[in-house]
Amino acid sequence: MESNMEGITITDLKKVYESDKQAVVAVEDLNITIDDGEFLVLVGPSGCGKSTTLRCIAGLEDVSEGSITFGETDVTDLRPSNRDVAMVFQNYALYPHMTVKQNIGFGLKLSTKLSSDEIDAKVESVAEMLGISELLGDKPKALSGGQQQRVALGRAIVREPSVFLMDEPLSNLDAKLRSEMRTELQELQQDLAVTTVYVTHDQTEAMAMGDRVAVMNGGILQQVGPPEDIYRDPVNEFVADFIGSPSINLFTADIEGSTLRGPGGFSYELDDTTPVKNIDRVRVGIRPEDFTVVEDTKNSATVTVVEPMGNENFLYMTLGSHEITARVDPAIRPQEGETVGLSFEETALYLFDPHSGESLKTKSDSVDVELSTTVND
Amino acid sequence: MREEQRQNAVWMFLTYTFVLVMVLVMLVPLYWMVVAATLPQSEFLQFPPRLFPGTAFFENFGALQGRINFLQSVGNSVIIAVVYTVLSLLLCSMAGFAFAKYEFKYKEKIFYTILATLVLPIQLLVIPLFLLMAQMGWTNTFLAIILPWAANPIGIFLMRQNMKSIPDALLESARMDGASEFQIFYRIALPTMRSSLAALAIILFLFQWDLFLYPLVILETPDMYTIPVALAQLTGAQRIYYDQIMVAASLAILPMILLFLVLQKQFVSGILAGSLKE
Repeated sequence: MESNMEGITITDLKKVYESDKQAVVAVEDLNITIDDGEFLVLVGPSGCGKSTTLRCIAGLEDVSEGSITFGETDVTDLRPSNRDVAMVFQNYALYPHMTVKQNIGFGLKLSTKLSSDEIDAKVESVAEMLGISELLGDKPKALSGGQQQRVALGRAIVREPSVFLMDEPLSNLDAKLRSEMRTELQELQQDLAVTTVYVTHDQTEAMAMGDRVAVMNGGILQQVGPPEDIYRDPVNEFVADFIGSPSINLFTADIEGSTLRGPGGFSYELDDTTPVKNIDRVRVGIRPEDFTVVEDTKNSATVTVVEPMGNENFLYMTLGSHEITARVDPAIRPQEGETVGLSFEETALYLFDPHSGESLKTKSDSVDVELSTTVND
Repeated sequence: MREEQRQNAVWMFLTYTFVLVMVLVMLVPLYWMVVAATLPQSEFLQFPPRLFPGTAFFENFGALQGRINFLQSVGNSVIIAVVYTVLSLLLCSMAGFAFAKYEFKYKEKIFYTILATLVLPIQLLVIPLFLLMAQMGWTNTFLAIILPWAANPIGIFLMRQNMKSIPDALLESARMDGASEFQIFYRIALPTMRSSLAALAIILFLFQWDLFLYPLVILETPDMYTIPVALAQLTGAQRIYYDQIMVAASLAILPMILLFLVLQKQFVSGILAGSLKE
C-alpha cells in the first residue's frame, strides 16, 4: 500500500460485542471522513465507543457492519499488519524482553525486507528525532514513563505508516510532561503529515490537539468539527456539557411569555423568543466565562468557594439548589457566603430542548456581537 | 511497644525452629542415603547406625553396575525425561496460550474437561494405556512412555494461568507490527514466560523421572529400563540389595539437582516489568 494518499472513510460502522447472554452495541451508525494528513481527535466519556472505533480502524476488532476504507482501499477485512497503520497504546505495550533498539526495529524486521543494517539506520534516525539515542541498549523497565512513551512513539514512526492511531497515549504521564508531549506530538504530526486518529477522554487535550474533534457518546457520534465550532456551536446539551472546562452551567427554566424563570429566583427577559416558540420549558446553558459579576441585579447567587488561579478566579456558587460556576477577573474576589449579582449577554446564552437535548440556540448565532463584547471587556 | 517486640521475637523463634525441624526432616534421609551408599552391606544394618561415610562406594557401584547395567538405565531415563520435558513444554505452553488469549467455541468446557482428567490416577490409566500401546505395537518403546502425558493437564493449567498475565496490548502491538500468531507466541509470549517455563520444566522432568508403575508395565527388556524400573530389580524375593539401591538412588537425584541449578537463573522475578505503564 502506498503511503501519503490516505484519507480514512468510515461508513455505517457498527460494532456489537456478543457474549453468551447479551449483545452490547459499542458503536452504531458511525459515518466519518478523515482527510489525508488530518489530526482527528475522538473524544467522549468512558464507554462511549471511541476506543472501539480506533480498534476497528486498526483491525484489532472485527467490524459487525459497515466499512472502513483508506484512500481507495477497503481495509474492513484486512489484518492489522496489512493496513499500513501504526498504533501507540495507552500503556505503551513495549516488549519487556527486548532492548529499546529491538522494540523499535521489531516491526521493520517482521514486515519489511530491509537488511539489518538498514533497519539499524532507520531505528537510529528515529531515536535521534525523539531524543532517545542514548537509550537504545536499555530494556523498557530501566526507562522512565516519558522515555517509554517516546519508545512507543518511535516504534510507530519508524514504520512510516500511512495512518497513526493513538489510544490515550498521554494519560499515564504527569501533568507537566503531558503538556510538553502534547506540543511535541502535534509538531511531530505536522512534520510527518500522517493522518492521525487520536483517542482521549480529556476534552482539553482534544481541543488543544485536534484539527477536528469528534465527540462520541453511547456509541453514537454526536458532532464532528473544528474545536472552536464544537465549543461555540454544540449540536446538543451533551456536547455543550462535555466540551469546556470548567463545564457549562446548565439548568431548567420555565418560559412565561418572553421571560425565562429558573432556580433560585433566576429570571431573564429574552429579546428574541424565536428559538423557544411553542414550548414552555427549556434547558439553559451559560459558559462560566460569560458571567460578569455586577451589583444591583435581579439574578444573584451565593458564593460557596473561590478558587484563585492567578490569572483568573473561579467562583463556585449556588443558585437556589443549583451549583453554578463563574470564571472572572482575578480582581473580583468575593467572600465565601457573600451574595453576588450575575449578568450575561443574550448572545452568550445557549438553549436546549429539555426532552431531546438538541440545541435551540447557541453562541455562534451571534459571533460578531460576541467578539465585539469580548474586545470591549 | 516492648511487649510487641517480645512477642515478635518469640514468634520468630518458633518460626525458625519449625523451619529448622522441617529442613532436618527433609535432609536427614538424604544424608543417610548418601552415607549408606558408601557402606558395605554388613555395616549398613548395624546399630547404632554409622553417621559418617565409609569407603565402599565404588565397590557398591561396581556390584550395582554388574547386576543391572545402571548406566544404561540412567541414559534411558535422561533421554525419556529430556524429550518429554521439551515436547511437553511446547505443547503445554501452546495450549495454555490458546486458552488464555484466544476466544473460541466451547473454550471453557474444553479447558475444564482437560483439567478434570487430573482426578484420574496413573494406576487407573496403566491397563488401558498398555492395551492401547500394545495395539499400536509400541510396547517396549520410549515413545509409549513419552506420549501419553505429553499434553500434561497440570502444565496446561499452569501455563494458562501465567499466560493470562501477559497484557493483551503487548500481543496486539506485535500484531500491529506484523507478527503472525505463531510469531506472537514464540517471540513475545514465550520470552516473557521464562520463569514459568523453568518452573514447569522442573515439574515435568521430575514427573517423568519418577514415573514407575507405567514404565514397569510398558518396558519389557532390561536394556530399555528407566532408573526406577531398574532399581526395582534390586528388591528380590530373597534379598534386598540396600547398598546398591542407596548408590543408585544417590546418583539418580544428581540430574535433578543439576537441572535445578541450571534453571534457577531463570527464576528472575519481574520479567514483565517495564512493558506496561500502570
